[in-house]
Amino acid sequence: MIREWTRGQWGLRVTAALGPVLALLATTPAGVQPRGWLVVLVAVLSLAHARLPESPVGTVAMGAVVVWWGVAFREGPDAWAIPAAAALVASHVAALLAGYGPDALGVDPATLRRWLVRAGAAFLLAPGAWLVAAAFRDRGEVPGVWVTGLVLALVAVVAGSYALNRGAER
Amino acid sequence: MSSWRTTAALSRTAALGALGVATAVLFGEPAVMVLTAPFLLMGALGLLHRPTSTPVARSVVDHVVLHEGQGTRSRLVVSDLSGVEHVTRVAATAPYLALHPAAGRTGRLVGGDEDVPLLEVSPRRWGRRDLGEENVAFTSPWAGYRWGPARLDGSRLQVLPVRAAFDSRAEAPQPLGLVGAHRSRRPGDGTEFAAIRRFHTGDRLRRIHWRVSLRTDALHVVSTLGEEDTAVLVVVDALADHGRSGGVDGAASSLDVTARAAAALAEHHVRRGDRVSLRVVGSGGETVRYGAGARHLQVILGRLATMQVGTPRDLRGDQLQLGVTAGTVVIVLSPMLSEAMATMTATLVQRGLPVLVVDTLPAEVTPAVVEGTDPRVAGLAWRMRLVERREVLARLAALGCPVVAWRGPGTLDDVLRRLARRAQLPQVRTR
Repeated sequence: MIREWTRGQWGLRVTAALGPVLALLATTPAGVQPRGWLVVLVAVLSLAHARLPESPVGTVAMGAVVVWWGVAFREGPDAWAIPAAAALVASHVAALLAGYGPDALGVDPATLRRWLVRAGAAFLLAPGAWLVAAAFRDRGEVPGVWVTGLVLALVAVVAGSYALNRGAER
Repeated sequence: MSSWRTTAALSRTAALGALGVATAVLFGEPAVMVLTAPFLLMGALGLLHRPTSTPVARSVVDHVVLHEGQGTRSRLVVSDLSGVEHVTRVAATAPYLALHPAAGRTGRLVGGDEDVPLLEVSPRRWGRRDLGEENVAFTSPWAGYRWGPARLDGSRLQVLPVRAAFDSRAEAPQPLGLVGAHRSRRPGDGTEFAAIRRFHTGDRLRRIHWRVSLRTDALHVVSTLGEEDTAVLVVVDALADHGRSGGVDGAASSLDVTARAAAALAEHHVRRGDRVSLRVVGSGGETVRYGAGARHLQVILGRLATMQVGTPRDLRGDQLQLGVTAGTVVIVLSPMLSEAMATMTATLVQRGLPVLVVDTLPAEVTPAVVEGTDPRVAGLAWRMRLVERREVLARLAALGCPVVAWRGPGTLDDVLRRLARRAQLPQVRTR
């Protein structure tokens, strides 16, 4: 129940709710205004995500943002993608922390610190990816690069799953 | 038992990572990978830290027997904590049980210097207190997998009544035992001066009082009174609980006053070397036979903690078997709102036993009424009940049974002295 939320939980829920909306609106300064209905949809889904952090509704909200970024930009990555990534990561981590227990569970400071460090480290991939994409922006598309990347990703997933299953059997 | 399952966080990172790759491929837009690259990393790390352990958890408390207001710790014993980064414990709240952290919810990191989180438990009222069921969940590093929430059974605490402050210097009215601390009416080898009398054969020479002997030209000795123990029967009225209990720190119900006063009286008399017995008049009919010593006191306190409140079938005050022998001091702890208790007390008084009633009805008590009852009718009924009670107490007093309200130290001194004086007078007893 919302009444049971501690101050820490309120902070987590607000962060979880604002993250996807801010990530969506980040396309505006980049020159692409998101549709009104999309903003409303993402806002509603984000509120539901904040209320029910363990439900898949958060994935839908953030997935809509990701798809919108894919649809909105066709001329290379924009620097506003980096703060958008930060907002999404913050929303994800806030929901993750809120999902450690029931609504009235207080936020453990040590756990919060650990996840802030982790989120910060994981977020560094976003500017890294942006720099790589920016570096290759003007070089033209290498034929078959997307197919090769996808195949490599699939191979990595299969190999990782195999390794994990072997570890579990032991 | 529970097993490790993927968390919503891992599902989210995997779904967003896959969606990012798919969107980037479909639209040929690498900006999407900027958004989802952190999720791919977190998802991968969550998968890599998949636990292989099979934890078995149980909850234990450090102490199962406590006094009201004392505290203990509820520990979570886990067979295998490998692969566990975070532990969440959520204990159900129960009446008269204070938990810390508040509401019994705690969660923290484990591993390294960090231990499994503890729950501090403090029962606030005597009786049997069941810790509610507890839900426990373990989360793996990077929140990829979760074990639980698993439901664990709560422990049961036996909460002894806190011993109310009590002390008495009065002696037992009719000590009738072997060796004790009470001045006997019979002469004996004690220390209490009785008289100076003429020497009889068998008297000890060290008892000769030389000053009187020289003055009277006849040997005189100092005689003393014997010292004996006494038997004390504590009768507890557990037919009903009047008033609302706020626990050890709050308002006291009639049964709270009764249990705490009984505990205090039992401790006082056991420490003085008396033989103490307990009889609970209630649906459980708990009884403790006469005995002395610290272990016996623990038995009495334990029986008080487990007494069952209610009216037994076929309760008749004149037929209650209390096992009272001559010389036994009977202390009845009761709010005297039951006819059976009044009859029982009057019967004991008429047998010539030293009986005293400790009134345990709190001053500001209000009746518990069924929901929907007109408060004016309930108030009127309660006032009528109190009028009847006053009449009962007056009749008991007229029979020679003192009635005192419980007020801690000194509650019984005056009435016990009066009973002792009265015991020296000739009496007519009925059987």
